[in-house]
Amino acid sequence: MVLHKYGEKLYSGLVTTMTWHLKEIAKSIEAAQGGLFLEELNRKWGDHNKALQMIRDILMYMDRTFVPSNRKTPVHELGLNLWRDNIIHSHKIQTRLLDTLLDLIHRERTGEVINRGLMRNITKMLMDLGSSVYQEDFERPFLEVSASFYSGESQQFIECCDCGDYLKKAERRLNEEMERVSHYLDAKSEAKITSVVEKEMIANHMQRLVHMENSGLVNMLVDDKYEDLSRMYNLFRRVPEGLSTIRDVMTSHLRETGKQLVSDPERLRDPVDFVQRLLDMKDKHDKIISIAFNNDKTFQNALNSSFEYFINLNNRSPEFISLYVDDKLRKGLKGVTEEDVEVVLDKVMMLFRYLQEKDVFEKYYKQHLAKRLLSGKTVSDDAERSMIVKLKTECGYQFTSKLEGMFTDMRTSQDTMQGFYASQYSETGDGPTLAVQVLTTGSWPTQPSAPCNLPAEILGVCEKFRAYYLGTHTGRRLTWQTNMGTADIKATFGKGQKHELNVSTYQMCVLMLFNSADRLSYKEIEQATEIPAADLKRCLQSLACVKGKNVLRKEPMSKDIAEDDAFYFNDKFTSKFIKVKIGTVVAQKESEPEKHETRQRVEEDRKPQIEAAIVRIMKSRRVLDHNSIVTEVTTQLQSRFLPNPVVIKKRIESLIEREFLERDKADRKLYRYLA
Amino acid sequence: MHKLGRGHRDKVQQFMAITGTSEKVALQALKASDWHLEGAFDFFYSQPQIRAVTDSRHLEELYNRYKDPYVDMIMVDGVSLLCNDLQVEPQDIVMLVVSWHMKAATMCEFSRQEFISGLQSLGVDSIEKFREKIPSLRAELKDENKFREIYNFAFGWAKDQGQKSLALDTAIGMWQLLFAEKHWPLVDYWCQFLQVRHNKAISRDTWSQLLEFAKTIDPQLSNYDAEGAWPYLIDEFVEYLFENGIVQRGN
Repeated sequence: MVLHKYGEKLYSGLVTTMTWHLKEIAKSIEAAQGGLFLEELNRKWGDHNKALQMIRDILMYMDRTFVPSNRKTPVHELGLNLWRDNIIHSHKIQTRLLDTLLDLIHRERTGEVINRGLMRNITKMLMDLGSSVYQEDFERPFLEVSASFYSGESQQFIECCDCGDYLKKAERRLNEEMERVSHYLDAKSEAKITSVVEKEMIANHMQRLVHMENSGLVNMLVDDKYEDLSRMYNLFRRVPEGLSTIRDVMTSHLRETGKQLVSDPERLRDPVDFVQRLLDMKDKHDKIISIAFNNDKTFQNALNSSFEYFINLNNRSPEFISLYVDDKLRKGLKGVTEEDVEVVLDKVMMLFRYLQEKDVFEKYYKQHLAKRLLSGKTVSDDAERSMIVKLKTECGYQFTSKLEGMFTDMRTSQDTMQGFYASQYSETGDGPTLAVQVLTTGSWPTQPSAPCNLPAEILGVCEKFRAYYLGTHTGRRLTWQTNMGTADIKATFGKGQKHELNVSTYQMCVLMLFNSADRLSYKEIEQATEIPAADLKRCLQSLACVKGKNVLRKEPMSKDIAEDDAFYFNDKFTSKFIKVKIGTVVAQKESEPEKHETRQRVEEDRKPQIEAAIVRIMKSRRVLDHNSIVTEVTTQLQSRFLPNPVVIKKRIESLIEREFLERDKADRKLYRYLA
Repeated sequence: MHKLGRGHRDKVQQFMAITGTSEKVALQALKASDWHLEGAFDFFYSQPQIRAVTDSRHLEELYNRYKDPYVDMIMVDGVSLLCNDLQVEPQDIVMLVVSWHMKAATMCEFSRQEFISGLQSLGVDSIEKFREKIPSLRAELKDENKFREIYNFAFGWAKDQGQKSLALDTAIGMWQLLFAEKHWPLVDYWCQFLQVRHNKAISRDTWSQLLEFAKTIDPQLSNYDAEGAWPYLIDEFVEYLFENGIVQRGN
């Protein structure tokens, strides 16, 4: 027919016939009852497809020649269009189809089993009819209905469930929707439907979930609910600002608890426990981040900044961290393997990194290290060194050079002592044995202390040593630091029992006095020894007032030492042990005035550093405004401490006064470098 | 003067009355400007050496009147005699202006050089002329720029020799004197603050910055900026004002 120029007739005939036929089909579909409706539609669609196939094959010639030249719709497409217009868009079928589909999905959501195959075929049909048909006639209403469904459901859940359960439900719903898409919806719908669920179930309730009483994020953190936390992380990650919400709450929680921890006066009594708690807290949250939060960098940063924030709230943190290390290196690490030591030290270093006032830590560390080295209390040289290496890698050579100097002094002192005794071997009788540690001034945190009067016996050996040392090292000066030494003395008590007493140099001086007297008043002791009053009181207290170690007797009996007390040699002293260690009542933690003093020393030490930084900066920049100087100085010194802007200002003024800098004549905020 | 015509004579009189110079100078200036009074003034003010025409013999006499009997300087007694002659109180701020003109190194002291060249530059060679000069010297304090110069000069003038900073008592005295001119309402609080909180000497930087502060920052401190690179003492002063409720903290 096409050959005979009847193409037009054939084509229009096809259209009319097909339209008529489809209208018939439509009627029969409309007639289908209830659930059979979809099946009927599906069957007819299958038939139509088959028929269409055949028609196309039969009219292939027309399809190839007449249709393109006359710009007609190809047969197959024509068939689909007619189906769409006559069946799907037929007034009665269109709404019924949609309602049926949505009803089925709703039923599935509420737990019924539906015929997924049928659903799949129908949606497939809609997709075949063109993506716009699918989107307009099904997807859009589907999304709207879903939104209202989930908004209602989430409202209901949030009223009756705790946070963990809610999240479980939300997760399940999300998975269901994804599964649904993969079973019988267009793959492109997945992103859309999940975003609906995310918005309705998560984004809209985010704040409420996170802050939910007794089960919100804070409680999860406190109770280490890794699964719940991980679920929350994964769900919240899907919505905008979800993670930042978690992060913010976590940060404020950390800051709050951290602040409580560092400002609790109860905690401040025991520095070791204080630091241990900090470490535990850090461990706990590290674990949460690695298990539940996918090791998210932004979370780690939040954790770090929170720690930095609250650790520095307490200005004793540097001291306490150093005390913690001191405690560990004194006794805590006995019987622990090397790796474990490393782990502990690494953790401490982590806290150290948070410190803003690293120079304060250095000060304390030096003091504590000195005490450890001089009293021979350090457990492991390797651990000590490893700590120094860590500090060095963290803060550079300058930071640890003095600490290293202390180790060197200890080593050389050993050699010196060997040399000393080798040269004196002929004379070593039963006189006291002396062990001298020669300390370089400057490396050690020595306080200028008035030397006390040593007993004659000791003085003799000391003089010998002085002669020996100065003989081998000319041009040096030796001063005795009697406040830092220790002594072992043998004493015989009332019933002839012998004890070896391990005491400090000061205590030794006091006890030696009792070789020649049985009763001495406080004043007499003070005069004979010239030990500074505070130290003397402390040392007498430990000799006379500690139960089981009271080698002296005091009158009147009381806890504290008064200036008019008298002391007696305690004849009745007994002890189960031959060796008795008499510790001085030392304040482990610094007392308030000591703390104040250290603080002042630190402030003093900072001044030249700040000035040097200002001069360095001005030397290269020549002219700079005030605020830029402050910023640059702060960045330069950050690794050691956080300089106070007011202090920087004072230093600038001092430099102006000493004519290193001047103010610009025209702009008073500008400084110029002179010279 | 008899040689001059009547018109010329009037002009010379007029010129002398206005500039307060000697007849010689007036003649010189008027002749140079061809007897135009306006031109003569321009000539006179553009060439300061003319003004300095003073009788060096008279100056020497004046100096010797006040000179200390033992050293070649005018000391405290000489200065108070001078004040007496000038009919001003020794604490009068105008004496600071005088010292400024003499470029005096220290308070209550003039060296021979300072005194003589100072009077020369003022164009004064007798105590009467000097006394007449006082009102115009006082007027110089009203000039913004001159006041600043005088203010900054005062620091070096008032401090003890060999010291870098100015003793607090002296500084407070000077401030009360100087700011009485400027009517800075916070000056009393400032002095009070220094006595309570600071009690140390004042550095040159703080001294000179205080004038800037008084000039640029209004007494309500509404345009005060804590980041404004003010000396820390001024920052603390501001804090003090807020703390004690002297100034209400703005927003």
